[in-house]
Amino acid sequence: MKKILFVSILALLVAGSLLGGAKKKYGKELTLKQTTKVSEIVANPEKFDGKRVLVAGPIVDVCKERGCWIKIGSDKEFESIRFKVQDGVIVFPLDLKGKSAVAEGIVSVKKVSVEDQIKSGEEMAKEEGTTFDKSTVTGVKTVLQIKGEGAQVDVK
Amino acid sequence: MSKIPWRRWNVVLHRDIGYFIVAMVIVYGVSGLAVNHIADWNPNFTREKEFKTIAPILSEEKDIIVAQSLVALKLTEEPDNVFRPDPETIQLFYTGKTFSIDLPTGNVMIESVNRRPVLFEMNQLHLNAPKGLWTYIADVFAVSLIFMGISGLFILKGKRGLGGRGKWFVLAGTLLPLGYWIWYQYLQ
Repeated sequence: MKKILFVSILALLVAGSLLGGAKKKYGKELTLKQTTKVSEIVANPEKFDGKRVLVAGPIVDVCKERGCWIKIGSDKEFESIRFKVQDGVIVFPLDLKGKSAVAEGIVSVKKVSVEDQIKSGEEMAKEEGTTFDKSTVTGVKTVLQIKGEGAQVDVK
Repeated sequence: MSKIPWRRWNVVLHRDIGYFIVAMVIVYGVSGLAVNHIADWNPNFTREKEFKTIAPILSEEKDIIVAQSLVALKLTEEPDNVFRPDPETIQLFYTGKTFSIDLPTGNVMIESVNRRPVLFEMNQLHLNAPKGLWTYIADVFAVSLIFMGISGLFILKGKRGLGGRGKWFVLAGTLLPLGYWIWYQYLQ
């Protein structure tokens, strides 16, 4: 009996490690085939507002507290886009940072008030263990993000 | 065929389902403790930051910056990905490790992220990260827990059973969440 139990556990572990694919899926299946460049979305946010897109790029940051967003690096330097998912629906592990992802969702462009910017800035600073300088908020800001539905991450 | 009394069935099922779900109870219990205090710590990962300084990198060509960074940091492997969040910074990504280099000063922050062994897996299961089939396994577990609670009421008879002192424990256990919620919602 002990041998059977030991062999079963070993077989599960081996099967798990062998069957674990190089691509890890998060959320819904991807439906789009054609990717849109992040730089195009960043350059023309109003054009893409409300549109479904598939983007690809490196994951350059991950929500540290709840795994509820990732930042995907653009094809152009100094640009990235936030891929925000509903809390708990998809949880991105912190160690996905640096991996390559393709992600699908709806582009959202919205104006964020000064109060909300300060609130989210303070939350981000708390996550990072730093402080937030309120004086950096100078007025209403346009925030571009993708409301994420599904993603595939190359975890090899 | 002999008739088995319902109390006997109740004990047998309570016992055997108990054996069956004990591992799940531990997974959900331990993970529950871990994620309950998510505001105070990261229950899934350890994050360590290390700082060092290299010679400033003055080139503006990404490939040259990467090459110089690798030499300065004595890294022999190419990074999985490279990103420049702004003109003065480059980030080199390796599995579980990110080098963020401030190019004009040469200041480097090395962030290491490691999964907490066992706890990470427990939390993933508890929070239903795998979705799919695990959703239904977790449903069965939840129903089993309800069964364990209810069947446990009827294990003993007499003054140590539900009709005896048991009812006071049940009452106290019911008042705890109910009372707390009333206080939280209406009185505080």
